[in-house]
Amino acid sequence: MGIFSRNKKARGQKEGAQPSSSRREFLKTAATVGVGTAVGAPAVASAMEFDFETFMQKNFRELSDEELQGVIDRLERKYSEKYGKDVSVSAIGPMDGVLYGYGLDISRCIGCRKCVYACVDENNQSRDPEIQWIRVLEFERSEALRTINLEEGNPYYEHEKVPEKGKFYVPISCQHCEDSPCSTVCPTGATWREPDGIVVIDYDWCIGCRYCMAACPYGARHFNWGEPNLPAEDFNPDIHIIGNKPRTRGVVEKCSFCIQRVRKGRLPACHEACPVGARKFGNLLDPNSEIRYLLDNKRTFVLKAELETNPKFFYFWGTEGRS
Amino acid sequence: MAGDDHDLNGDRHPPIQLTIWAVIALAVVVIAGLFTVRLEYQPETTRDYPPRPQIADGEAILLPAPEVADDYLPCNDCHDGVTREEGPVPRELEFEHEDTKLAHGNLWCRHCHDAVDPNNLRLADASLVPLEDSWKLCTQCHGKKLPEWRAGVHGKVTGNWRGDREYVTCVFCHEPHSPPTVPIEGEPRPRRPEEIVLRTSSPGEE
Repeated sequence: MGIFSRNKKARGQKEGAQPSSSRREFLKTAATVGVGTAVGAPAVASAMEFDFETFMQKNFRELSDEELQGVIDRLERKYSEKYGKDVSVSAIGPMDGVLYGYGLDISRCIGCRKCVYACVDENNQSRDPEIQWIRVLEFERSEALRTINLEEGNPYYEHEKVPEKGKFYVPISCQHCEDSPCSTVCPTGATWREPDGIVVIDYDWCIGCRYCMAACPYGARHFNWGEPNLPAEDFNPDIHIIGNKPRTRGVVEKCSFCIQRVRKGRLPACHEACPVGARKFGNLLDPNSEIRYLLDNKRTFVLKAELETNPKFFYFWGTEGRS
Repeated sequence: MAGDDHDLNGDRHPPIQLTIWAVIALAVVVIAGLFTVRLEYQPETTRDYPPRPQIADGEAILLPAPEVADDYLPCNDCHDGVTREEGPVPRELEFEHEDTKLAHGNLWCRHCHDAVDPNNLRLADASLVPLEDSWKLCTQCHGKKLPEWRAGVHGKVTGNWRGDREYVTCVFCHEPHSPPTVPIEGEPRPRRPEEIVLRTSSPGEE
């Protein structure tokens, strides 16, 4: 008993000794912030379209089949109304015996950024403020003989024609790590790795703390700092709940391997857009897939292998001279 | 006094350390407890997806080659074996072929196009193949590319990763008369962070 009472006293004395102005200042700031929030609140609420059902919605992984159907119906109604299109919302699951892998031939990539815009069109990213899931970094070819440092890559290059002589290009998006640091740090369980290897986000459970962005060594996650702006004519109505569902302000988003496409057997949008065929996609568990062929026959590497995140996104050097 | 942990000189005695240890122990217990709670309430890593039919493996479909300008075809309009002869050795290309830039090793027309039946291509074994099957001709020399192309690693594939997939042939990307690819126009660069304008509401709602 003695210990606690004295401790309290000691702490009280310490605080008392310090001028309490700091606390008063803090209270004052808090009051100002409170007023600010109160003023800003109606605008924010109207913009974010608060609705109780979404607020109370369970985590995607905990939804029963009936609850999930309810969510799908609600979203279809909501998006059809908002964007004036026939919307199909799905929560289609993984296929058995499938683990997705991506291959990117850096000997062929010409840095044209067609994948970037195909991705934006497919996945309903905000157009303004601009969010892009793929970043194409430009490097000096001469530097590559030693090593490449991702920090030195230039995503803002501008050339009349690509590829520019003496440069090479490395497009980077989510690496879909087997040991994904982003999902480990998420405090709400809003991001996780699916059985087919796709790291997904439940946008309704993301609280926007951005821990995952700090944890991701590849800069693959993007935060909606502003209210996303997606014109109705650009809206892609083929929606997956944990994929390209339109995002709200204050949530994190990233590449999902086009989950709405690949789980129906289709190739990702960036793969289809690449004019030089530098992008490869397939099932890592199928020995006859193109991704297995290149793993067996090409010089392949992953980014930041030393971090042991075990990415499922492989870069390789495809050309071996003419012949 | 017996209960006081200060002695006459005001020096401190073990109980204060006990306090620290107690606080540390409590903190450890609380943190461990939080972890347990977190682990317990962390959702399962997978949800129970209902079983669904698997998509069958599809077929490889060759996409048609880009079309050749109409005024070139059919070749035997001019090359009828009598009025026009390309000749066996390279020379300046003329008439319809003025625009053709021939820069494919030391190749000359006859290496690929049949002299008697110029609508077809002539393979090394003297068999003729139509222009659409030009990949059979290309891979005679570029044999190393054939397994890579078949595997889908060299060249562009569209469609499905499981299901029907479409392959483009060599001439889709490589102009056979001068095969190296040429630079193309790229898409605009992303905005720099300082160029991004934020709003708190959608444009229509302001």
